[in-house]
Amino acid sequence: MPAPVPFDPQAVAAATPHKRNPREGVETHRVICSTCDIACSVVTEVKKDRVVRVRSSDNPIFRDNICMKGIIAPKAFAHPDRILHPLKRVGERGSGEWERVSWEEAMADIGQRLKSVIKEYGPEAWAVSTSQWNTCTDHGLGRRVMNHIGSPNWISGVALCAGNTAAINRMTYGWFPMGDFNNTKCIVLIGHNPRRHSWTPIFNFIRSAQARGAKLIVMDPRRSSNAEVADIWLPLKAGSDAAMLLGWLKVIIDEELYDRDFVAQWTTGFEALCARVNEYPLARVAELTGCAPEMIAKAARLYATAGPSIIPWTPITDMQRNSTSGIRLQSILRAICGYLDVPGGETLQGFHPDIVPESTIEMHEILSDEQKAKQLGSDTHPAFTYRGQHAFAEPMKRVWGHEYPNQITGCYMANPSATFRAMAGEGAYPVKAFFALGNNTVLSYANMPLIIKAMMNQDLIVVHEHFMTPTAQLADYVLPGDSWLERPWLTDSFGWMSSYRASEKSMEPPGEATSTFDFWKKLAGALDRPDIVPWSDLESFYDDRLRGTGMSFRKFARSTEMYFARPEFRKYLRTGFATPSGKVELKSSVLEALGFDPLPYFREDPPLDADYPLKLFTGVREDGYFQTAQRQVPDMRKRSPEPVMFVSPGTARAHGLLEDEWVEVENQTGKISVKVGVRDAMPDGLVRIPHGWWKPEMKQGAGHLSGALEYSDAQLCRDDEDYLDREQGIPHLKGVPCRIVKLATQPVPGPEAGGEVV
Amino acid sequence: MTPDARELRRRERSAKLTLWLAERASRNNSLLDRLCRKIIARATRIKPDQDFMRDPLIDNDTGFDPDELERYQRGE
Repeated sequence: MPAPVPFDPQAVAAATPHKRNPREGVETHRVICSTCDIACSVVTEVKKDRVVRVRSSDNPIFRDNICMKGIIAPKAFAHPDRILHPLKRVGERGSGEWERVSWEEAMADIGQRLKSVIKEYGPEAWAVSTSQWNTCTDHGLGRRVMNHIGSPNWISGVALCAGNTAAINRMTYGWFPMGDFNNTKCIVLIGHNPRRHSWTPIFNFIRSAQARGAKLIVMDPRRSSNAEVADIWLPLKAGSDAAMLLGWLKVIIDEELYDRDFVAQWTTGFEALCARVNEYPLARVAELTGCAPEMIAKAARLYATAGPSIIPWTPITDMQRNSTSGIRLQSILRAICGYLDVPGGETLQGFHPDIVPESTIEMHEILSDEQKAKQLGSDTHPAFTYRGQHAFAEPMKRVWGHEYPNQITGCYMANPSATFRAMAGEGAYPVKAFFALGNNTVLSYANMPLIIKAMMNQDLIVVHEHFMTPTAQLADYVLPGDSWLERPWLTDSFGWMSSYRASEKSMEPPGEATSTFDFWKKLAGALDRPDIVPWSDLESFYDDRLRGTGMSFRKFARSTEMYFARPEFRKYLRTGFATPSGKVELKSSVLEALGFDPLPYFREDPPLDADYPLKLFTGVREDGYFQTAQRQVPDMRKRSPEPVMFVSPGTARAHGLLEDEWVEVENQTGKISVKVGVRDAMPDGLVRIPHGWWKPEMKQGAGHLSGALEYSDAQLCRDDEDYLDREQGIPHLKGVPCRIVKLATQPVPGPEAGGEVV
Repeated sequence: MTPDARELRRRERSAKLTLWLAERASRNNSLLDRLCRKIIARATRIKPDQDFMRDPLIDNDTGFDPDELERYQRGE
């Protein structure tokens, strides 16, 4: 999720910019950090043709947007284990036997084998998984190539993190808004906990807003660091977001705290919504959420009356079995309280008219309806697939000028679980070629055993990566990717915002590492379709996209840190909303037409299995790591050497757990080993599992996967129907039944961080 | 016009002005750009002891020696 650009000086807190004198022998570049997905504007310092330092921007509007992961980047990308040349598998899949080949040799063989798969099984037998912060220079080219070749089966981690939020927001008001942190009077954090070194700009904005008097409401089962400084903390049960928000609506509607004029003029389905909300009196909501009715009411009143308020995007609601309803309820609250597209509220920005957006590059219109209909998962869980978004084509064209405007790349995706089933031979048709670009697929989705089975059933796997990840270990080809220090970039936050920023190239990539742009260009050539990616290189591609600004990329990057159109608020007065009705659809006509409940609801958990009496939530990151990355960076690993689960003192006592002891956490899907961390901030009965663990120093290859089989939380993430959101088919990661098993013997730390079990 | 509508108009005008300032400050080419940057810096200044973004790990970072990185990359 990219950070909003801090365009209001009243909220961009403090610090006089340092006046930095140029140092002899040091060259500086304005760069956007892509170590995580937040995209902070920073400065690199280069000596002897190498980035030696990453520091915060000199521009006060990007003040202090830098964290420990950013400053370690020069060393992280200089790691001796970085993949610098194309590698071809020579032994059995997962054997760990590789030979170095040239790019030409690799791409010729990849092209030939992909063509064979397409010839035998059809173009839909090719699936791609990516993560945008690593593959910054994809810019929609992956979808463009796939659309020309005929495959709709593109998946990404954004299916359960922001991309799906974008698609579901559209169901209510036809776009995915960005909260105006800088002018808001009240912020609602739902389970999300931005910190100084994790989601740094958001942390900065929240603290700045509080410093100027904005209120903060936090919903979180844990007493998070944001909960500790909140005006109201609602310690709700994990996974009960939708129930809580139904309770808020009950209060706001009953007490007539909503914007009556807006509701009357600009919404449909208010009466039906009221009827649904009446099914959730506060006593019921209190039971579902575990929070006192008075506190629920107090928070709802604060949100509705202190505004304009914002509910910033949260990954937490994205990853629940009531995700669609939870996201819809956030949207409905924003709308009926009158916070849409107003200063301090939720801005609907559209694309910048001067610059060619990635959606245009993607060319979804070229993919035939017949192939779109084959998109995996669209039959059962269509919300973010072509089928689910089809009804928005006309309204989007009318309001935003594009038939297929993709936001956060999440609006026309295949369903990940359905894709892995097809890859494993359990789908409606086979998928036999799989490409993972900057994406550690094995650890990044639910049901890791299924993903491994799927990978082992492929005819061709191509991975574009920095390191030999567990996913790369199962590939046929591992190709070296460049880093954000080594390439230029141009970003509009994946279509979320209308502002653009450029990032300068600071140094040459090491070895034969190349950009994602280069990868797609080479692949188009290998498929005998060089016309699909006609630009000679990345900068000429940017020059083309920037033509409407009257600037070349180099001039743009040198002269402008941020390029945006003058804001226009309440654009809906002129255009209406990009929904089939042109209004805010409190009762969604699109969901109804797809056969789902058009109103938000709360689906209660299945009965608790006595064998698994605890609940786990996963997805939490340590400050030094982002997702599954950085475990090989010594400075970061020292800070978090082992995966640690958090439990409350009460849970620890009840299960006889000691601080720092190794235990196993298991459920019906799998089990992992973790150390125990007893934390006062945790509620009883809840287990926090860290996300993305593997140990690069451990044995590679199938059956080992560098410790991923022992430590990855994806082993515990279920994707059976009871634990999938109905409309999207994304997994429930917040409140999954589990149990803790004490070990008869403790692992003895070995010479490496992993240790050996005795 | 209702008081609420007047307040909304005021906020919209204020937001547009600050965006214009930020745009100029971001460009930082002309004298006017630099003046805008100074205005932003002044408007957003807070006391050092209240500055929640100060962090020794970041503030004391001096980067790396290029030769050290070279040796590290070679696995030495």
